[in-house]
Amino acid sequence: MMDVGRHPNIELLDYSEVVKVQGYVGNFDVQVRRKPRYIHTDLCTGCGLCAEACVLHGGKGKLLVPSEFDEGMGKRAAAYIPFAQAVPLKATIDPNSCLWLVKGKCSKKCEEVCGTGAIDFEMEETYVDFKVGSIIVATGFQMWDPLKLPDYGYGKSPNIITGLEFERLSNAGGPTEGEILTAEGIKPEKVAIIHCVGSRDERAHSYCSRFCCMYSLKQAHQIKEKTNAEVYSIYMDMRTFGKDYEEFYRRNREEGIQFIQGRPSQVTVDPETGKLFVEVEDILLNQVLELDVDMVVLATAIEPPKNADEIASKFGLGRTPDGWFAEAHPKLRPVETATAGVFLAGCAQGPRDVPDTVAHAGAAASEVVRLFNQGEVTISPTIAEVNPEKCVGCGECILSCPYTAIKRNADDKAEVNPALCQGCGTCVAACLSGAITALHFTDEEIVAQIDGLLQLPT
Amino acid sequence: MSEPFEPKVIAFLCNWCSYAGADNAGISRIPSPANILPIRVMCSGRVSPEMILRAFRSGADGVLVLGCHIGDCHYIDGNHRTVKRIPLLRNLLGYVGINPNRLYLDWVSSAEAPKFAKVTNEFVNTLRELGPISEEIKIGVGV
Amino acid sequence: MIEEIRTQVAKQLQKLDGIVGLRQTNQGTGPFLFRDGDDLNQLVLEPRYPLPVVLSKLQKQFRDANFGIVARGCDVRALVEMTKRLQIDSDRLYLIGFTCSAEQAKMCYCADPFPAIEQWPKAEMIGESVTGVQPNPLVEKFKTMSWEDRRTFWHQQFQKCIKCYGCRDICPVCFCEACSLEDPQWVEPGLLAPEFPTFHLIKAIHMTTRCVSCRQCELACPSEIPLTVLYDLIREDVSNLIGYIPGADLEAAPPLSLTLSDAPMKSDLV
Repeated sequence: MMDVGRHPNIELLDYSEVVKVQGYVGNFDVQVRRKPRYIHTDLCTGCGLCAEACVLHGGKGKLLVPSEFDEGMGKRAAAYIPFAQAVPLKATIDPNSCLWLVKGKCSKKCEEVCGTGAIDFEMEETYVDFKVGSIIVATGFQMWDPLKLPDYGYGKSPNIITGLEFERLSNAGGPTEGEILTAEGIKPEKVAIIHCVGSRDERAHSYCSRFCCMYSLKQAHQIKEKTNAEVYSIYMDMRTFGKDYEEFYRRNREEGIQFIQGRPSQVTVDPETGKLFVEVEDILLNQVLELDVDMVVLATAIEPPKNADEIASKFGLGRTPDGWFAEAHPKLRPVETATAGVFLAGCAQGPRDVPDTVAHAGAAASEVVRLFNQGEVTISPTIAEVNPEKCVGCGECILSCPYTAIKRNADDKAEVNPALCQGCGTCVAACLSGAITALHFTDEEIVAQIDGLLQLPT
Repeated sequence: MSEPFEPKVIAFLCNWCSYAGADNAGISRIPSPANILPIRVMCSGRVSPEMILRAFRSGADGVLVLGCHIGDCHYIDGNHRTVKRIPLLRNLLGYVGINPNRLYLDWVSSAEAPKFAKVTNEFVNTLRELGPISEEIKIGVGV
Repeated sequence: MIEEIRTQVAKQLQKLDGIVGLRQTNQGTGPFLFRDGDDLNQLVLEPRYPLPVVLSKLQKQFRDANFGIVARGCDVRALVEMTKRLQIDSDRLYLIGFTCSAEQAKMCYCADPFPAIEQWPKAEMIGESVTGVQPNPLVEKFKTMSWEDRRTFWHQQFQKCIKCYGCRDICPVCFCEACSLEDPQWVEPGLLAPEFPTFHLIKAIHMTTRCVSCRQCELACPSEIPLTVLYDLIREDVSNLIGYIPGADLEAAPPLSLTLSDAPMKSDLV
C-alpha cells in the first residue's frame, strides 16, 4: 500500500467513495465524493498529537471509542490515525464520536496541540469529476456476523471471538501487543478453533470461504507457540489446496495440535465460572465430545460487503447466486465483467487468499494495459441496429439488453451503442415493430434458411 | 404401402451452447435423427414468436429451441427472455388447437452431446405420433 | 353522472391545456380535444373509443402541454401499460375517471368496471363503482375442449375475418408505427381470410402483458369473432406464469423483457 501511495502515476483519493459512473469503455465519466476528515491532509504530518490530546483519550492511556481496525477489541480517540501503517499516514476526526461535531461542546485540545494548524472543523465534503478509460472494482469482502447463529455462543462470552478478532490479539501492534490472553488477562490453557462458521452451512452461506482453513492452522500454530495451550482444531474438511499448504497442515499435527473432524452442535458458557464448553461429534472416533476450553476462535465466513447492491448498480455488475460480483466467464474470463472496460480484482469476485488475489489483480491490471495498448475495442459484427422510423420508443429492447447497450436518445428513440452491443439479438426478438435488426442474423436471413431447409426431402 | 411419416423439425440452436452440442454429438458419432434441420442463432433470446410461427407455416412439423442453461448463457441472461416467451407461445398454440408439444424448449450445453441426441430423438418420436402439421394448418402459404 | 363529468371537465379545463374526450355533433361522434370555453354539452361517454391512443399522440406532439382525459376503468388500465412503455407521460396527465354501469360491465364481462386511480399522481373518480362480473363462461369451457374441437372452433371463427384491422386499430395498447401484421414475411399479403393461425396469433402474442381486457376488439369486430376468449386465456397464463396483471400496477415493469431476477417466473406452464 505504501508503494501505491508513493507511485507517481497513481492518484490516491483517500476517504472517498464513487458516487456515479456514466459512459462506456474508454470513456467513463466518474464522480467521487471526498468525505471531510476535518483535518487538512496537506498540512497534517501524521504526528498523532491530536489523538493523544483528544478529550476522548480519557487520560492515562485509556481510550474511549471502539477501534474498527482492532475489531472492537481495542479503543481509540475521536481524533485518530487508524493504524501505524495507514496510507496516507494522516489523522482523521470521527464525526460520530467527536464531542465538538456531535454536541458542539469541547475544549478542542486537538486544535491547540496541532503544530501545523491542520485541524478545520468547518471542512465539508467535496466532489471530484473526471474521465477514465477503464475501471477495476476491488471492493473486497466483509466478515459474516456470527450473532446470526446463536449455536456458536458468540456474544455470550468475551472469550468467544472471531478469526479476525484473534488476528488483532496475536498482532504485535494490537490491543494486547501480541500476547494471547483471555478477556480476564491470563493465558488460556485450552483453546478450540472452529472451522466453517457460517460457511458450507445452509443456514448462512452454502459456499466455502476458501482461506479460513489456512489461517486457522496458522492461528493454531501461533497459540501453541505463544502459550503452549491445548489446541483443538475442529473442522469439516481440511482445505489445504495450495503450494506448501499440506506441509503446514502436517506440521500442525506434529506440533501436537488436536484435529477433530466434526461440526460443533453448540458452544455454551457456564454462567458461574465463565468456562466455555464445545459439544461436537468426532465423526472419525464416532464419539460425542464435550470439550471445556478457555477460548473459542470462530473461523467465520466471508461475504460480499453490505452495500454490494449499490456497488453492483453503480458499476453495472452482475451477481452470481452466492452474491459475489459476476465475472464474464467462470473459467476463461475471471477478471472481466459483462460491462466492457469494467474489471474485477480480488475477493470482490469471490473468496480467495493472498497469492490468488495477487494473481487475480495482476490479471485485471494486464487486461487494462491490453485495452489501452490496443487503443481500439474489437466489437462483434453481429450487432443490433435501430431503424428510427419504425421505432416507437417503447423501451422493450432497452429492458431486454443484458449489456445495457441500448439507450433512449434525444428523439425518444432507441439507440444501440456499438461499443457495448455483443450481438445476442435478444432485443430483436423483443421488438414488436421489427424496428431493430441484428446485422448478419436478420429476420430475412433466418426466414430464408427456414424456407430453404423445409424444401429439402427427408 | 406408403412411406411412414417423417416429421421435419426446425431447430433453433444457439451458437455457443446447443449448436456446439449438436456438433459434438456428430463428432462423437452419437446418432441423432436426420429430421432435425438446424438454424444457428447467436443466442436463444434471438428466437422470436414470429419466426416460430413462420416455421410452422412453411411446413415444419415441429420447432425445437435449444439454448444455454439458465445462468450459463454466453450473453449472461438472453435466455431468461426465451424461457418466458416460449411457454406463452406454446399455450397459445394449444388454445387454437395446434398441439403445443410441437414446440419444445430445452437447454443443451456444448458438452452435452448425449443430451442433444436424446432430446432430438424423443422430440421426433413425439412428432411421429402427432402427425404432419398440414393436418392442423395450411402450409406452404406464400412460400 | 354525465353532468358531473361535464362540470369537472369545465373546472379542470381552466388549469389544463385540454381534455381528451368524445364529442358528439350532428355529424357523428369522435375523439376531441376539449379546450377551455368549448361547449361541453357535446361531451359524451359512448361509444367506446381508444382515447388513450389519441392522448399519446397529442402528448408526443405537444411536449410541454398538460392534458386531461375522460377515462373508464379499462382506459386507465391501458394508460398504465402505455406509461410503462413510455407512450404516456403521467406527470403531464390529469385523469377524470368514471365508473361503468352494471349493464356495461355485463356486456364486457368486466371484473373491474371502475378506474383504479390511487396510483396516479393527478386523478379523480366520478360515480359509484359497481361490482365486477364473472368472466365469459366460454373461457372455462374452452379449457376442457380437445385440440381438434378447439381447432375447428377457431377455424370457423377466423374464416369470418375480413382483415379489417379493426381489432388492432381500436386496441388502446396497440401503438406501433410499423405493425408486424403488415409485414409480408410474417403475414402473407392478399389472403382473405388471413392465414390461420399466424395473423391472429401474432396479435395475441404481442398482446401478452399488454391486454387490459377492455373488450373493444371484440365489440369492434364486424364478424363477431370472440377474440377476448383467446386474450382472457393469455391473461391467465401471464398471471400464472409471471405473476403479472396488465394495468394493475404502475410500478411493475413489463416482465417479458426483464431477467428472471427482476421478474421471476412463478411456475412452469404446461
